[in-house]
Amino acid sequence: MKINRRSLALGAAGLTLPGLVRAQSGTIKFGFTAALTGPFNEFGEGINRGAQIAVEECNKAGGINGRMVELAEVLDDQLVPDRAVQNLRRILDNREIVGLMCPSGSGPTLATADMIQADGRPIINPQAQTPTIIYPNGPDKPPRPNLFSISIGNLVESEKLAAALSEFTRIGILHESTGYGVTGADLVRREIMRRKPAARVTVESYNQRAQDMTAQLVRVQRANAEAMLVIGLGADFAVIRRNMSRLNINLALFGAAGAVTVPYIEGAGDLVAGTRAVNHAAFGRRPMHGAAQKFADLYRAKFGTDRWYGPDAANPLISLAGTVGSGYDCINLLIDAIRRISSTAAADVVRALDQTKDYEGATISRISFSPQNHVALKLEDLGTYEMLKRGDRVVLELRD
Amino acid sequence: MDDFFFSLLLAGISVGAVYALIALGLNLTFWTTKTLNFGQGSLMMLCAMLTVFISSQGVAITLAVVGSLAVVAALGMFIERWTVRPSLQSSGGSMGWVVSTLGFGIFLQGMAAKCFGSQAVAFPDVVFNAQDFVTLFGQYISLQYLVVLAVAVALILAFELFIRRTVWGQAVHAVSLDPELALVQGIPVRRLILGSFMLSSILAGVAGVLIAQIGGTVDPAFGFDLVLLGFVAAVLGGMGSSLGALAGGLLVGVISKLVGGYVSTAAEHGIAFALLMLALAVRPQGLFGRPEVSKA
Repeated sequence: MKINRRSLALGAAGLTLPGLVRAQSGTIKFGFTAALTGPFNEFGEGINRGAQIAVEECNKAGGINGRMVELAEVLDDQLVPDRAVQNLRRILDNREIVGLMCPSGSGPTLATADMIQADGRPIINPQAQTPTIIYPNGPDKPPRPNLFSISIGNLVESEKLAAALSEFTRIGILHESTGYGVTGADLVRREIMRRKPAARVTVESYNQRAQDMTAQLVRVQRANAEAMLVIGLGADFAVIRRNMSRLNINLALFGAAGAVTVPYIEGAGDLVAGTRAVNHAAFGRRPMHGAAQKFADLYRAKFGTDRWYGPDAANPLISLAGTVGSGYDCINLLIDAIRRISSTAAADVVRALDQTKDYEGATISRISFSPQNHVALKLEDLGTYEMLKRGDRVVLELRD
Repeated sequence: MDDFFFSLLLAGISVGAVYALIALGLNLTFWTTKTLNFGQGSLMMLCAMLTVFISSQGVAITLAVVGSLAVVAALGMFIERWTVRPSLQSSGGSMGWVVSTLGFGIFLQGMAAKCFGSQAVAFPDVVFNAQDFVTLFGQYISLQYLVVLAVAVALILAFELFIRRTVWGQAVHAVSLDPELALVQGIPVRRLILGSFMLSSILAGVAGVLIAQIGGTVDPAFGFDLVLLGFVAAVLGGMGSSLGALAGGLLVGVISKLVGGYVSTAAEHGIAFALLMLALAVRPQGLFGRPEVSKA
């Protein structure tokens, strides 16, 4: 049989056509890479669960204009930037993916941000806090066109933390030595100094998973600090709190959002009482706003009162918002944008996201974006909580 | 004594004691087979995670610790039989044991993640909690730190006595010098090697439990960094010396904490390791090691 160029071209077209048709008429596909396993899977598996709930909810309601939605590519990066880059390459190679969610931490998200921007498809950041993810040239410059964020950004968080610490003059900051910790500590220090130029801030760093923080703590103590802020993850925060107790260091203790998670509460036990921390306000308010309550009910129905939800059916853990709810909101925002614009073309979805106005999310009660503003979380969306011991249970009470 | 200095010293001695236990465990297998079990970190982790799991089933914490130590001891035998012995039996002095002990450690990590989850779990207080302390000369001393130090020193001294004063200890010594001659003399070399791996694993387990109660949490990745520091302690003290392991561990711990406290916490390990490199440049055989003499 003679094969000429014409028949080859026809054959190639024949092979491609069903894909095109499928892309038009099949499911609407989303993808993401996250820490589904490994020591940080509290966050990655969390957003995965949130995304699953959003997809099931959408499909149960008939999908988007009759088309079902699907999490077509969900890959595990264990919060390792290199692996996140490889995973994202694979996801982006799948041209049927119309919307994405960023990985769970600042390291993997920063490593993939340029790639995502170059690709142009819409992507929403659920958890990574570093401001340069969205604003690579500074917060006063335009954002990356296709990257949006609903996470607790370092900028807003530092403002809230500085406000909470404003009653103290001598403050210690202990931060993990990652991008998240370094940026967060620097922003909080600057914000404290802006509010209170006479304040004395001592900044110390530690490596994740260090088992003893004596050197850092005695340096903070030597600076006569009255209060200390920890910017890091829950397990390390537990090490710090227990270490403080062993050294008889009694300072007012504050934590950033990443710290107020189950590993801290379980690891430090009774010692957590009195710790104050900043996190989403939505889950601390009673009654919770509609979307937050609905999400909590959906989560409990699907996964029960597990490690992410907490043991109290009526009161989900505050951290559920950041660990799971943010994934739910990201996928819902993509669904909402596609539904409004009736298109899955990247430029159209990005344009629709830019026009998002007062969307009721689970973690943020009113989410709005504009071409200049791609960060949804505002100061009023954060709350300062105090940890209290009630019976054998630790509860977080919203203070402001 | 200055409070600042004292706090650093005590913490350094306490974590250094744990490094010493790990170093002693590494020494044990080095004596009998001239190999090191690079999966020690995973055995530390597994012992701590098993303790959490067993105690969560309502078993008394001491029994949970003993049960977990029994499991890691059995794993020690498995490691010798299936990861070290095959590579030692191969011709040409294979270094396959490095990869296989490390690989087995990574396998254990994966299994622990599968069985217990990969997130950090709270480790129960074994003897004292973080708030228990005694006051000595006006200084506040954590009982948890004291327990770590006391257990580590007691084990190392007991081990040193065992080696010096018992027939079995002499047999271990003989195997370390010349296993073939020891075999000809009727010493059960195979059993001694197996025993050394069991004991080494138990020491790793004890170190895991001690350090986990200091930190308060444990997860499948726990232990890997500690083995590195234990290895440094073993080399600094002199590979194969129990007292060297103790001195090396305490030196690494104390220097790291003092550098962290007086210079910079970011340089805690960097400067400490640079000093240790300097020490080894001056005395390559380590503090308590003897220069190797080879006969023509």
